[in-house]
Amino acid sequence: MTTPERDPFINRELSWIEFNARVLSEAEDSGVPLLERLKFCAIVSNNFDEFFMVRVATVKRQVENGQIGTCPTAMSPRQQLNRIHARCAEVTERMYQVLTEEVLPGMAREGLVRVQPRDWSPEQRDAARAYFREKVQPLLTPIRIGTGDTLSSVRNLALHGAFVLEPLQENQEPWPPREEQRENQHEEQHEKQQAQDPAQQEEELLALVPLPAILERVVYLPERGAQRVAFTFLEELLLEEGGHLFPGYTVRDSCLFRVTRDADLSVDEGRDEDFVEAMEQVLETRARSRPVRLTINNRSQRLRDLLARALGLEPQEVYQSPDPLELNPLMQIAGIAGFDHLRNEPWHPVPSPEIERDEPVWDAVRRRDILLHFPYEAFDPVVRLVRDAARDEDTLALKITLYRVSADSPIVRALEEAATRGKQVTVLVELKARFDEQTNMDLASRLERAGAIVIQGIAHLKVHAKALLVIRRGTGGIERYAYLSTGNYNDRTARLYGDIGIFTAREQITTEMGLFFNAVTGYSVIPGLKKLILAPGSVRPRLLEMIRREALRAENGEKGLIIAKMNSLADPFLIRELYAASRKGVRIMLNVRGICMLVPGVKGVSTGIRVVSIVDRFLEHSRIFYFENGGAGEIYLSSADWMPRNLDRRVELMFPVEDARLRRRIRGFLDAYFRDNTKARELGPDHQWKRASARRGKAGETAPALRAQEELYRHSRERALEGEPENREMFRVRRRNGAGA
Amino acid sequence: MAAEQENKKEEPAAPAKKKKKAGKKLKQKRLVSVIDIGSTAIRLVVAEIVREQEWKTLDRAVRPLSLGRDVFLRGSLSVAAMREAIEILASFQELLQGWKIAPEDVRVIATAAIREAINRDIFLDRVQIRTGFRINVVEGIEENHLTYIAVQHAIEELRPQFSRSSAMILEVGGGSSELMLLKRGRMVGAHNLGIGTLRVEQQLQGSFADNDRVEEFLRENIRVTRDSLNMELRLDKVRYFVAVGGDARIAAEHVGKRETATFSIITRDAFYRFMDELKHRTVEECVRDLKLTWTEAEGLYPALLILRIFLDTTAATQLIVPDVSIREGVLLSFAVDPTHGIRREFRQQVVDSSLGLARRYRFDEAHGQHVAMLALSIFDQLQEEHAMNDHARLLLEVAALLHDAGYFINADAHQKHSQYIVENSEIFGLSGTDLKMVGNAVRFHRGGTPRPARSGFGALRWSQRMIVLKITAILRVADALDRGHVQRIRSVQLERGEEEMVLHCEYTGDISTEQHGLAVKGGMFEEIFGYRVIAR
Repeated sequence: MTTPERDPFINRELSWIEFNARVLSEAEDSGVPLLERLKFCAIVSNNFDEFFMVRVATVKRQVENGQIGTCPTAMSPRQQLNRIHARCAEVTERMYQVLTEEVLPGMAREGLVRVQPRDWSPEQRDAARAYFREKVQPLLTPIRIGTGDTLSSVRNLALHGAFVLEPLQENQEPWPPREEQRENQHEEQHEKQQAQDPAQQEEELLALVPLPAILERVVYLPERGAQRVAFTFLEELLLEEGGHLFPGYTVRDSCLFRVTRDADLSVDEGRDEDFVEAMEQVLETRARSRPVRLTINNRSQRLRDLLARALGLEPQEVYQSPDPLELNPLMQIAGIAGFDHLRNEPWHPVPSPEIERDEPVWDAVRRRDILLHFPYEAFDPVVRLVRDAARDEDTLALKITLYRVSADSPIVRALEEAATRGKQVTVLVELKARFDEQTNMDLASRLERAGAIVIQGIAHLKVHAKALLVIRRGTGGIERYAYLSTGNYNDRTARLYGDIGIFTAREQITTEMGLFFNAVTGYSVIPGLKKLILAPGSVRPRLLEMIRREALRAENGEKGLIIAKMNSLADPFLIRELYAASRKGVRIMLNVRGICMLVPGVKGVSTGIRVVSIVDRFLEHSRIFYFENGGAGEIYLSSADWMPRNLDRRVELMFPVEDARLRRRIRGFLDAYFRDNTKARELGPDHQWKRASARRGKAGETAPALRAQEELYRHSRERALEGEPENREMFRVRRRNGAGA
Repeated sequence: MAAEQENKKEEPAAPAKKKKKAGKKLKQKRLVSVIDIGSTAIRLVVAEIVREQEWKTLDRAVRPLSLGRDVFLRGSLSVAAMREAIEILASFQELLQGWKIAPEDVRVIATAAIREAINRDIFLDRVQIRTGFRINVVEGIEENHLTYIAVQHAIEELRPQFSRSSAMILEVGGGSSELMLLKRGRMVGAHNLGIGTLRVEQQLQGSFADNDRVEEFLRENIRVTRDSLNMELRLDKVRYFVAVGGDARIAAEHVGKRETATFSIITRDAFYRFMDELKHRTVEECVRDLKLTWTEAEGLYPALLILRIFLDTTAATQLIVPDVSIREGVLLSFAVDPTHGIRREFRQQVVDSSLGLARRYRFDEAHGQHVAMLALSIFDQLQEEHAMNDHARLLLEVAALLHDAGYFINADAHQKHSQYIVENSEIFGLSGTDLKMVGNAVRFHRGGTPRPARSGFGALRWSQRMIVLKITAILRVADALDRGHVQRIRSVQLERGEEEMVLHCEYTGDISTEQHGLAVKGGMFEEIFGYRVIAR
């Protein structure tokens, strides 16, 4: 038997990069419509941005502080950092390759043409110039950079142009400004040159031009032909026309670049009194914190070296690529009007068949628990519940946690309405939701103005649990309705993320929800709960207990089975438990979208474990945990992944699915993920992810193509059209005994 | 209890009316809340009264706060503790707003810590100004009563067993412990003992460090108490041991077995084993291993130890742990109709507890019971004249049972000894004021006129003094009617004349002694009710 120390693990960061590579392979899949492939490119790039800001920054800090690191693979932070960069460089290269060689050319063939400056027609050039002078130039503010400057003015992720300038001879002015202005500038520049480092040769200057975020990054160009659209990127315009920003100088060299900075800064939790202010300071600091990556286009090797040196970055931290440097604007192009044939056929969310259109949601919930499966089913009942409660005379109170909400969220509007109408509205807004801090601070003050009790998070913990509770005084006494979910109460992401939410009126659960809110509101210490399982504290021990229970049953010759679906599996402690269970004969089926530090299929360790990942048109986001329990299967849903951060440093909820009907449905969802042979990738003992479709083609296997998300969509549609099978009436057929089945 | 009832009467009539209206619309489902300011924590419970004696707990909150530590060590609440208590109460008030509970349906009670704080009035005032909560400081013995009704409700199923043998109910608190002894279901003793987890800490100069030392100390202390309890009830015959309180519930959760929805059972062996396990654990380990808050963990071992020392004096083989606390007692006491069985039974327990006390002092039981019977008969027939309520009737009954208890000390001035005994004992269900009223009644049962300057009479309120005068007058008549202590007069029938009240007695033999006694003792009756009283 292997000792726990030698248990195999995959490094967390490297595993994450493989996840992003799986997203990229969707962009590479020629079966995916072009504009969707374009979107996947943008997602990959955006993912990398966050990865560098948070994860790579952390590893880099470990390297610099000489820390040993906590990776169970025993890789040192330095080894990790080197391998991260090596693999990120490969994936980034693949990303540009598919973008520039397949996607953009493919789009051009379909009439959606990106035209680079060298290919601009005279007409297009004129239009571009006019646009630059009128709309762009007035908003640009060049910054002079002297030697020894560490580029601290360069904000995180902001796109910049860099220009190397040389003063003109009097007679060589390419674009003379007015006489007197030129005189002044000459004088000024002369002074500046005096102050400059004497080491700088050839009287050259470096100027940076940040591109303001308010400017549209996609610039449409005139194009003949009704069915055709031509566009270019703002930054290309900048490089082309940027000379005009520097009268009296000639541009010797130029490039575009972005700096990714460490965003993993935490707020000073000791500052309870002025936490919001402390948070704002963090956001300000984040914009200018230490750099971790330089992305630069490949126009100037000289500038690349100069900027890298100024930023103090190693060569491997510099990512050089073709234009466009920033892929976010591709999202806008992907959403352009028309060109629907280049997109997925729309899968519209269907209304849940269990809630009548004209009844209050709670009437339906009183009848039985209701499951909503996003994005296949509409999010609307959640909004309706809050809105119904806001407008209902008998509603006493509404309690909700908000982590990420959409701009102009209908939920927030309904909460405001409820507070204005005198209901007690308690909202826990997590200010520390990364990259949503500012939005959430604004949201908190908005709700406060409406009269809601706003809790701005809890010291040292992020509140990640998704809980909603409505309390009303009905004719039969107090009625409570809970909505628990694996995803945020966000109407926008509910159309893109695969999540599960459950409405229930079960007394024990709603009472415990009340106790949960009392704890997060600061009314009470953390209560002992029987149904809900709360992290930090209880989720990990409960998971442990249930994994061990399966192991024990397997040891006794019973069937041991665990099926778990999550975004990430990165908890070494639980992974070791899974290995131990596998050794005892438990079958473990894992559906892990992102990071997976567990290695399946290793002899003597994990032969009973399968790991499958689905990356498809919707982002898999639900956390479902199934335990066979000797035939009395239990299903839990949660907001928590199996990661130390979720289990130990966040307030999370895990809750049992009490209704057998819903358990059966969820079990069906889980099965679909493991039958998928189209979008599924399976992790091997060699750490490699292989498409499950490879298996399909093997001799002897003639399974028809199955795509889990498609199947789930179809399942939802059928239910919506036909209603629940249980709802359908049946004739009581009389037959003679023994005849037929 | 008396004080509480009077407070109710004094409330202006208008809000009561309003409430009735609101009540009509919402029908019977009433929401109530109890906040309990204890020695180690402030707790809240919100309940919906489903029907008589039945409620559903909707919400709970608890915030640890060691008020007791301040008070038991220094005698007063510190500024910081007061501020934190007010902050907690203000947050509870916000919580209650979410339930929209009528202010009259919120009860805020405080026990030992506040009761004993020198600066409690300042605290009560600041709380009222800041939160609007009016705190009812529960007296020691009243805690007993509240605990009892909660326990009784929780272990309803065990009532038949209880009515056949002896039982001990014990709740260990931070500042004091409630102990009740029942013999065949009837209360023979009720005590608010000055033993509590925080007090142990105080007496041992703030160190729980050595559990053996704590045990030795507690055993020593409890021995004296045990001997005195043995006089009320043979403790070694006690078959049922009811352990109330959070510490017992923690033990039950770990080593107990749930019996019904409202109580669990821990076998004696399992309990001992659990304590052995705990004995060598630090507070930190308890917090971690048993998932307790710091405050819970800190007091757990001493509390279980106190339970154990008492358990050891009994023959009980298991601990019955009901899921209740004083809060449920309060819920029941104000959410239950006064004519309900629970109240009738309460009266019986008060009387039983008085009897238990009187027996300790070897009273002439036949005489005492007979005087009580005659006094109540007169009370009932005089209802029109005296207009007193049931509570006064109960005080009369207690006074009648105990009026001669002082003989135990000396026949001379026995009325004074009786007063002393009454006022310095504990009678289940009676508050300190109640005891003072009964004390004054027995003090003057032989003669003399209560005057404000005498015997604490002046410390009573006017309405209370009037009750004392009226019940004393009736008690004197009743006592005279059994002056020979031989129960010659079996019953009396009152007949009102112009100026006199004729007591038609059913008797055997010669009643001249009683008639003479009446002539001597009837003066006060005439003064108060305006009738000369004659026995025929």
